[in-house]
Amino acid sequence: MARPLPLLRSGDTPPGLLDRLLRLRWTLIIALTLVAAIGVVLLYSAAGGKMAPWASTQIQRFAVALVILLIAALAPIRFWLRASVPVYLFAVALLVANALLGTGAGAERWIGVAGFKIQPSEIMKIALVMVLARYYHWQRHEDIGRLHLLILPVILIGIPAALVLKQPDLGTAVILCAIGAAIMFLSGVKLWKFGVVAAAVAGAIPVVWNLLHGYQRQRILTFLDPETDPLGTGYHVIQSVIALGSGGLWGKGFLGGTQIHLNFLPENHTDFIFPILAEEFGFMGGLVLVLLYAFIIAVSLGIGARCRTQYARLTVYGITTTFFLYVFINMAMVMGMLPVVGVPLPLVSYGGTSMLSLMFGFGVILSAHADRNEWISRFADEE
Amino acid sequence: MKPTLKSFLTKLTPGGASRPGQVRLEGVAKSSLDMGRNRVVATGAIFSLAFLAVGWRLIDVSVMQPNLTRARHAMPVSALATRAEIVDRNGVVLATRRPIQSLFADPSLIAKPDRLVRRLSRLLPGLKKTSRRALLRRLSDRQRRFVWIARDVPAAIAERIVAMKEPGLEFRREWRRTWPQGAVVGHIVGFTDVDGRGIVGIERKFDRRLNDNTAPLRLSIDIRVQMALRDVIGETVRRFRAKGGSALMMDVRTGELLGMVSWPDFEPSAPGKATVSARFNRNTLGVYEMGSTFKIFTIAMAYDSGLYKEGDRVDARRPIRIRKFSIRDYHAKKRWLSIREVFIYSSNIGSAKIALRAGRQRLQSFLRKLGLMQRPPLELPEVGAPLVPRHWRPVHTMTVAFGHGMAVSPIQLAAAVAGIANGGTWRAATLMKQDAAALPAGRRVVSRATSLRMRSLLRQVVEKGTGRKAEAPGYRVGGKTGTAEKAGRRGYRRNKLLSSFVGVFPIDDPRYVVLVTVDEPKGNKSTHGYATGGWVAAPAVRAIILRTAPILGLRPSRENVDGVPAVQPNTKPGTPPGNSPARRTAPAQPDKRASLAGAGGHEAE
Repeated sequence: MARPLPLLRSGDTPPGLLDRLLRLRWTLIIALTLVAAIGVVLLYSAAGGKMAPWASTQIQRFAVALVILLIAALAPIRFWLRASVPVYLFAVALLVANALLGTGAGAERWIGVAGFKIQPSEIMKIALVMVLARYYHWQRHEDIGRLHLLILPVILIGIPAALVLKQPDLGTAVILCAIGAAIMFLSGVKLWKFGVVAAAVAGAIPVVWNLLHGYQRQRILTFLDPETDPLGTGYHVIQSVIALGSGGLWGKGFLGGTQIHLNFLPENHTDFIFPILAEEFGFMGGLVLVLLYAFIIAVSLGIGARCRTQYARLTVYGITTTFFLYVFINMAMVMGMLPVVGVPLPLVSYGGTSMLSLMFGFGVILSAHADRNEWISRFADEE
Repeated sequence: MKPTLKSFLTKLTPGGASRPGQVRLEGVAKSSLDMGRNRVVATGAIFSLAFLAVGWRLIDVSVMQPNLTRARHAMPVSALATRAEIVDRNGVVLATRRPIQSLFADPSLIAKPDRLVRRLSRLLPGLKKTSRRALLRRLSDRQRRFVWIARDVPAAIAERIVAMKEPGLEFRREWRRTWPQGAVVGHIVGFTDVDGRGIVGIERKFDRRLNDNTAPLRLSIDIRVQMALRDVIGETVRRFRAKGGSALMMDVRTGELLGMVSWPDFEPSAPGKATVSARFNRNTLGVYEMGSTFKIFTIAMAYDSGLYKEGDRVDARRPIRIRKFSIRDYHAKKRWLSIREVFIYSSNIGSAKIALRAGRQRLQSFLRKLGLMQRPPLELPEVGAPLVPRHWRPVHTMTVAFGHGMAVSPIQLAAAVAGIANGGTWRAATLMKQDAAALPAGRRVVSRATSLRMRSLLRQVVEKGTGRKAEAPGYRVGGKTGTAEKAGRRGYRRNKLLSSFVGVFPIDDPRYVVLVTVDEPKGNKSTHGYATGGWVAAPAVRAIILRTAPILGLRPSRENVDGVPAVQPNTKPGTPPGNSPARRTAPAQPDKRASLAGAGGHEAE
């Protein structure tokens, strides 16, 4: 990747907004836009070759998300560091409000804010990364090993996880825990502690099993053998794998997917959108998307590696991990490698909140990139 | 998070004795960076592995062969919309599709699932108590967005469900495979599962072809012949209170099966309701010791090998004893018999002696040429291999000569008889309509002279031998009866018979073979208690010929009712099968239908 502009060295005078805009990592923005474009094409196909109802809305949302990304990128990383705790508290408040108000109809994952339906748990995924990065930025490296200093991060993870679990959304709760664990791992928490937690989780499985809802158990059982329930829970996975396989190497051509167009895959515009790609554009189409995702993740990890401050590093890694978890869990889910947990394919699936919050997250990554050489003390507020 | 608190904490807890930590800040920062880098590398490695796993799985499900075939196999779910029709030789549809309405629900929109299930079960009698409970459980699960309630809802009921105006209920149009001829062609066409995957029969064998190519698949079957066969075999089995039976009709020149019925049969749209024995295809999957019909092959071999000539005689004065059992004649003449008599009187003793003289090798290679020793290449998944003695002893040579000790399927027997009767060219039985101009080369099995001799013998069996009840006046039937004792736990059982008759007509220029087998018929008053091939199967063949010959454009002629006719010298083996009338009325007649009145004209020959 050519860098057309000289690197900003620390000590240089902070550039103007336009300057900063030009220095953003545009390859990353272009890759994100390409992924979103694939999503629009697939939503157009999922609607049977129509812009309505999904593709057009998705374009509008992406435009909004792009603006949010740019705003987030233009703000200095120091600002985001300071904003971390308020953002986290805001996300917790939304989750609490969601739990208290709810819509009363089944899954209580959405909440109405100013006429928009938003999914607090999606916002929480980014907010959790930020607050944990903030915590470990403040934490001194030689203290990380201390046991009592693990209490606060565990609480920070535990509160949203518990709230999400109550919704009930097991999948997102597990993902939140995974994100938290990833940041703790990256900040240097000793491996044996993860081992202890893993053992505790393994020990808790029988207990949790009894607490699980019937449908949650059913989903796990169906994951283990989808063909036991071909018209129920297993239906999605079976049809999904059929659609994936029926595309072959080059696919059946745009709008040519029979599985999709004969509606064998319900909800194919949200979580089960990947099979459309694989059916219509074949293995090669799927491969292009996977490579784009891999590219985005690699670029982001590269950005993280070059950041001088702990907060920037951990935020970048954390958001990248979140993004990775979306990609991996969704793909593994539609290919029958994981249970169906309801994770969208990032930037491709139809869905506003996850797109907005992920694009915001990438805005923060770009901000960290722009300020990669800046040094921020542990106590940012003192400066 | 108050920095003051934090700095207080850090003061309280120094980095530890072993670490130079707090003093040498540079060193700490360095080790922190190192470890951070290791952790990042580890994370990157995990990401890479995960991507590799996803990529591998993607290859696995979309490109790799085994899963590809599975997926392609599974594809007909949707391919039902385009799956090719199956038609008979004249284009009558045997398998097609029909649109259905299927009811599903979005539980997240359903307020009172129990009430809904109650209302639905009033309209859908198919919802049984157990499935109703399972349905209620599913509909109560608000997490679901999609639950099937009933596939294939009749239009009238669908209207009433729509009128209920329940939110969350929706219909989806689907296609379903359907077999308009029902049980008539059940064993041949077979059936698919709900999603259109071929399970049995042609549907299974040609599953790929039917999905890949939308042109109708044309079978050799003639649905009119098929119906006639079914009527007759059904009636025969009922009349003789048999366990079952089979009937088939084959074009002797091409090997095309015009009809093939196994009784009892089953409704392909409801295979679950059929018993195992109803789903069993006796014609192709079943192999039976055929009994005396095998003498056709023994005698043909005797003539064709040159070992026996017309006048030669065989000693059939007394039964052959081999250790514990003996070979006897059913219609024993207790004298020397000519070859011709051995056949007409169906002498087991004579046949055994002929085969013994010809020897094992000659008999085996002759049967092999006739396709009786190996699994026939029929276009069905349900094709049985013949049972041949593993250690072939001289006694087997003798018993096989009269159709015991070796079991073949009816289609094998019919193809072998066709090969001998049609002038000596064997072709495997087929269910695909053949192009008369592009027939695969057959296999020469006997000389033309032997074939002519056999025709005359077959005719005599019907004229004055055991097969008199097969005579269909005007159609010059030749044939051979077979009455095999079925093997039980201790040797053969006198009262458990497989009675059969294989007929060829018109014998002077054979066009069709008809084979009927009846499994364990019981004699009745009209047969004086007999249940042999001559009494049970021969009349069935006669009935089949009388019904189908006019359909196939064959005209009865009078002069050949008595006496074997001379074989017509200008036989045209290449005449297109199926739709050309019998030689006598044929090629000169421009329109066979127009000359119905012209029967008398044929007597000029």
